[in-house]
Amino acid sequence: MDYTSQNQNDKKQMLETIGINDTYELFNVIPSHLRAKDLNISCGKTEQELLNYFSKIASKNKKLVSFRGAGIYDHFSPSLISEIIGRSEFWTAYTPYQAEASQGTLQAIFEYQSLICTLTGLDISNASLYDGATAVAEAALLALRVSGKNKILISSALHPDYIQTVKTYLENSKTKIELIPLSEKGNIEKNIAETFIDEDTATVIIQSPNYFGIVEDMDVLSSLAKSKNSLFADVVNPLSLGIFKAPGEYNADIAVGEGQVLGSPMSAGGTTFGFMVVRKGLEWKMPGRIVGQTIDKDGKRGFVLTLQSREQHIRREKATSNICTNASLNALAACVFLSGWGNEGFYNLSQINISKARYAFEKIKSLDGFKAKFDKRIFFNEFVIETSKDIKKINKILLKNNILGPLDLSTAGDSFGKCLLFCVTEQRTETEIDNLVEFLAKA
Amino acid sequence: MEKLLNELSSQCKPAYSVKCDVEINAEIPENLKRKSNLGLPNVAENDLLRHFTNLSRRNYALSTVFYPLGSCTMKYNPLINERIAKIDAFNDIHPYQPVESMQGVLEIVYELEKDLCEIVGMDSFSLQQAAGAHGEFAGLLVIAKYFKSIKQKRTKIIVPDSAHGTNPASITFAGFEIVPLKSEADGSISLEKLKEVLIPEVAAMMLTVPNTLGVFEKNITEISKLVHDNGSLLYYDGANLNAVMGIVRPGDMGFDVMHINLHKTFSTPHGGGGPGSGPIGVKSFLGSFLPVPRIEKRKNKYVLNYRKSKSIGKMKAFFGNFSVILKAYVYVKALGGKGLKNVSKQAVLNANYMLAKFKDKINVPAGSRCMHEFVLSPKAILENDVRTLDVAKRLLDYGYYAPTVYFPLIVDEAIMIEPTETESKDTLDKFIDVVNKIILEEAIEDPQKLKNAPVNTPVTRLNEVEAARKPILKWQ
Repeated sequence: MDYTSQNQNDKKQMLETIGINDTYELFNVIPSHLRAKDLNISCGKTEQELLNYFSKIASKNKKLVSFRGAGIYDHFSPSLISEIIGRSEFWTAYTPYQAEASQGTLQAIFEYQSLICTLTGLDISNASLYDGATAVAEAALLALRVSGKNKILISSALHPDYIQTVKTYLENSKTKIELIPLSEKGNIEKNIAETFIDEDTATVIIQSPNYFGIVEDMDVLSSLAKSKNSLFADVVNPLSLGIFKAPGEYNADIAVGEGQVLGSPMSAGGTTFGFMVVRKGLEWKMPGRIVGQTIDKDGKRGFVLTLQSREQHIRREKATSNICTNASLNALAACVFLSGWGNEGFYNLSQINISKARYAFEKIKSLDGFKAKFDKRIFFNEFVIETSKDIKKINKILLKNNILGPLDLSTAGDSFGKCLLFCVTEQRTETEIDNLVEFLAKA
Repeated sequence: MEKLLNELSSQCKPAYSVKCDVEINAEIPENLKRKSNLGLPNVAENDLLRHFTNLSRRNYALSTVFYPLGSCTMKYNPLINERIAKIDAFNDIHPYQPVESMQGVLEIVYELEKDLCEIVGMDSFSLQQAAGAHGEFAGLLVIAKYFKSIKQKRTKIIVPDSAHGTNPASITFAGFEIVPLKSEADGSISLEKLKEVLIPEVAAMMLTVPNTLGVFEKNITEISKLVHDNGSLLYYDGANLNAVMGIVRPGDMGFDVMHINLHKTFSTPHGGGGPGSGPIGVKSFLGSFLPVPRIEKRKNKYVLNYRKSKSIGKMKAFFGNFSVILKAYVYVKALGGKGLKNVSKQAVLNANYMLAKFKDKINVPAGSRCMHEFVLSPKAILENDVRTLDVAKRLLDYGYYAPTVYFPLIVDEAIMIEPTETESKDTLDKFIDVVNKIILEEAIEDPQKLKNAPVNTPVTRLNEVEAARKPILKWQ
């Protein structure tokens, strides 16, 4: 099956029109010593065979009841989302360069930008980036461009994959990357951060809730950044913003994050999307596409890609980023997700995450052999528990019972040797949580 | 005009809701609480469904029209790919699940890496990158790390002026300097000009083969020799791989590093601008520099290996756009080696058929043969201030998406057409007639018709200048 439709007669006519006898003549320009041998890839399968073949491979994956987060989360996805992103007019369209023929995609991105702005309380959103990790790296680059400074400060409680990605992105630049160590209470303390920040600091990048689930005091950290004329860049979980302070409220300059929680499935970590939103004044330095409103010849409202002279297809080596393809369809899912809750419903969704996680936290930390690593801290839907029990054994038992247990944090540093990172979202029922607690008690 | 969500918002009951089944006091201290209005719209499910469905109908899409977009390979996106990608046991998998509970995921990534190696003649692949430009960036970081490892200071990358904009942007992004190379009229490389710029500081040369004018680089063997004799590496931009699958392999042509766009050559959808996937392939001496984790097979079990001391690190979180990778793998299994070769043969036949029908009427700067795409330059025949942009907009009126225009930059008033292999002769014939009619008849007899186009689209021509001058980037 190769999805071509020409029959022999078509081909004959086409060859005649071109004036050749065989398609191979079209490849004469390729030196014969370079020609490929037959590709060693098993012959084609029919649709029916494919379905059987891949169902079999799928059965080697285990769908689990998840108590694990750390960057990718099991959340509820309303039926409307799959219906809309399943519309072929959206998923088979290209990047909306021909605006008049792409008003659906363009308006949807404009709505997405508006929703991300109102959610974060900041001014200007782009059309999406690849994922949370690359969004942080782009935020660092944006700050370096704007400030002309050479150092970036990052919370050591930023997701480790994100830190790695930032380091990779900046590998060949002269930028100095410093990590602000975690306090004993599991957060970033102002007095520790103070000893790292200086006049050459382009940006301070803080994740909240941080990798260990704790909500940071962003007001204090933002003021600290401002005192040295550094940009304050935060990495936020957009679902937490139903309850917790928005980036705009603590004067963030840039907010970025992972958008998977807004209507994309976990899909083994991809595809997801990254969002980026900035305060007014930074838009011309921003990476990625931006959609703007305008009017057509008849004065009717319409939408176009705008501020394009920042981008690679116009600006080439002077572009703000090399990004071209981003994650439009996942951003569309986020748009459909954010438009259906209303203020109260979204607040409620945030609150349920907090409540369920708190419920599980209280139960687990009171078990024998388990205690809170950072007690009396405020968290969203993730928390760290320290245990005297065998972590590998715990997770083995849970897996046997179709539960994806907490993440073993032993690679996160010496002080986390016996620690577990739990995640409880609105998806987990009281019964599932109680069940988990029972297994832990017996472990 | 379709209303905006904030205009649709009312006092109604919103579409979604969830309930809480636990009782607990989870008070949040005031200083951490949000005080500002969330500002989310209130729209009922029925109205949301209509809103987004109506929006979708304001798009031209591959599923509704022919999309002859040069350089973008808008081939048919097989529905079986989508169906398989929706299987729960692929979708509902957490990236940090124990490997024994996600062997299916790892098998697909591992096996696609292997198949891509075979298709393009490379030794290792990494599927972590999220798009073509992301792949270019990763490939260039691999090159940088390689030269660092052999303690050579090489700071420059050669790139022809016919290249995609992502090439120069990625070069800067990766910390290199650009050495631009002026290409010939048909986009090919002059060996003499190449020799002039091949200085000792050159780390690599980036090439798109066939080039963006649709011409195969006939001197590739000599170019490869010159570049390697200089101690430099050769990078293959896989944007045009659809022309040569099973015919010639980049690895055999002498390329050391390359990227592929799964959302072009391997049939995964563009999604209105992503998500995509930009795997990179390298020769064995560069394998240890690829991003982590590497997926390895040990005693019939797939495992993730993060311990690679020479690796460039991570390009993004986790291990790639899995759902795109999965769809591309379904495609490879649907076609097999023979099918893939047939794809390129048919893509090149389709393009040459179209070119044959145009070449006596409209100027073709790269000559009368092409690979999978070709570029027209109607400048000489367009009068009355009619421009390529007007032709493109007029095509929308006839129910076609417009070809790529004004690219490559080295061709005046360029119209770049890539039919792909999945379009029928009938579709091509009708499109050819319409293009000829617009350029050869309408543009001369009724130029205003082109200037006023489009008129059959949901909106007429949009004012892009105004949009950039007074940016409105969200609801007012």
